[in-house]
Amino acid sequence: MAYLTLSDVSKQFSDTFAVKDFNLDIEKGEFVSFLGPSGCGKTTTLRMVAGFEIPTTGQITLDGRDITNVPPNQRNVGMIFQSYALFPNMTVSQNIGFGLRVRKEGKSEINDRVQEMISLINLEQHAHKYPYQLSGGQQQRVSLARALAIRPEVLLLDEPLSALDAKIRVSLRAEIRAIQKRLGITAIFVTHDQEEALSISDRIVVMNAGEMEQVGTPFEIYNFPKTQFVANFVGSLNNADAEVVDPANGILAMDGVHFKTAEEDFANRRKGDKVKISIRPERFSFAAEPMKDNVVDCIIENITFLGSVVRIQISIGNTKFHMDTFNNPFLELPAIGAKDQVMCSKEAVLVLETA
Amino acid sequence: MTLSSNSASSVVKAPEKKSSLKANQFWARVIFSISVLYFLIPLVATFYWSLRGKKDVLGFEAYKKLFADTNFLPAFSESIVNAIAAIFLSLLIIVPTAYWVTLRLPKLRPVVEFITLLPFVIPAIVLVFGLIRLYSRPPLLWTATYDSSRVLLVCVYAALSFPYMFRSVDNGLRAIDVRALTEAAQSLGANWVTILLRVIFPNLRTALLSGALLTFAIVIGELTIALYMAQHTLGPYMADLTRSKVYEPSAMAIVSFAITWAAMGIIQLVTGGQGQTTGGH
Repeated sequence: MAYLTLSDVSKQFSDTFAVKDFNLDIEKGEFVSFLGPSGCGKTTTLRMVAGFEIPTTGQITLDGRDITNVPPNQRNVGMIFQSYALFPNMTVSQNIGFGLRVRKEGKSEINDRVQEMISLINLEQHAHKYPYQLSGGQQQRVSLARALAIRPEVLLLDEPLSALDAKIRVSLRAEIRAIQKRLGITAIFVTHDQEEALSISDRIVVMNAGEMEQVGTPFEIYNFPKTQFVANFVGSLNNADAEVVDPANGILAMDGVHFKTAEEDFANRRKGDKVKISIRPERFSFAAEPMKDNVVDCIIENITFLGSVVRIQISIGNTKFHMDTFNNPFLELPAIGAKDQVMCSKEAVLVLETA
Repeated sequence: MTLSSNSASSVVKAPEKKSSLKANQFWARVIFSISVLYFLIPLVATFYWSLRGKKDVLGFEAYKKLFADTNFLPAFSESIVNAIAAIFLSLLIIVPTAYWVTLRLPKLRPVVEFITLLPFVIPAIVLVFGLIRLYSRPPLLWTATYDSSRVLLVCVYAALSFPYMFRSVDNGLRAIDVRALTEAAQSLGANWVTILLRVIFPNLRTALLSGALLTFAIVIGELTIALYMAQHTLGPYMADLTRSKVYEPSAMAIVSFAITWAAMGIIQLVTGGQGQTTGGH
């Protein structure tokens, strides 16, 4: 049995379902991210695990215990907030020790644990400072230490990095992941930032309009999206309308240009069916190897330099696509307006929904 | 051409601006001086009058007589005790109410605001006759003894403090992220009492102090209700004093001013002149 289970969990506010029929099993020590746009229900789901919201229907179990209706202060669940939520009247040490004092633990045990947590977040020099004397990154580290001090059964992180600047965000997410792995704690991380979710998680739950779109490892989510929403939300994507030409051999046509796909159930489609195809920009390359599945003619429309990546806009038939190629000092880029050939593998051509 | 004409116009305008600025400053100083005189002249006159307790000699004779009066200190201490009791009662009612409204019932805020404003709407004389009518007969016979009347008086003072206390506490609550702090404390195992006492109250320190001192200032010299409820507090004592003495009422007024100013000074000292301290920067 899984460590944390959400079974058929729904949450309704007035007439609207914030979360609908949510089912998820999380193993002990796993780091799971809820990824989705604003209003998709990811924070509501997290708050139901924390106990701040009670599910309208469904059940939540933690280590075999039904915690669906257990008050938040009796769940032993640590929570980290986007706004840090440090107690302004308490120093760093007092903030970290708050949960232990509430639990009426011994003075020496509290001191030892607070010291341990302060060392964990490398803020030994700031133990006696108040929250307003710390930077945003430091405050969030204190918040992490405070949540971990009580030895929670699950650590919940509600967009903890959103209020921080880009560099601190990257370093702190690595720190959070390292601490989570070291302590072996089960964690749920809510974010709308796909890069954050891809870089930190064991598994990602992509959510949309209160429903779960796909659950998988970051590799699966990025490379094998099951829905158009997931494909579009995670990473960049080229979308185009196409028509099935030869279902048995995976051939379809877009603006008269033939593409081959490796989609498993493509053979079940009928000739003439309208479909939508999706190809990630980095799956295109210039046609140096003619044996590739899809080699097509194109016109170079535009070239944008993005630092480590060069984004080239091409048109295939009447449809415009983007292709990404890694930058290097010796890269020979085609001229704008030039005719060229690009290619992609049949696995790169995703057929996600019927047009 | 355009450049030179612009320069010329700016050269002409600069002294005009300067002179209008000077004129503004002049009028600002005049208005400020008139305001200061308006407040200070009566105060200085009262103080001067209070020093004339002995014929032809300026001194603190009136103050000495005031503090020597056997009725003064009991009335003063009774008012202080009443004020402190009213402050605690008001805090006990207003803080949980304002906290709950902020956290769970924000739609009820206008209703609660209206209720807390009622003491402004109902004149003290109407209030006290209403109270006497309601609490002078069974089953609510609260005016039967001096002590029970005093309890009732404290309750009324607590109600009178609601407009100030609610606004102070409400401002304090708006300055902190009540929801996040509450949920953080809950996730760490705290119950409602712990959250209120260890998280919310300490972070409302300045707001509570402001509300408390305003309540203190109202209660300490309150006359109408105390008089009609036959209470021996500072308000009725001052009224008696005015009828029977010449210089002592002025001394009493200065003492009263000093207490109020001390209260304001404490607010400034605690807040550093910056109002509510908040966290979560």
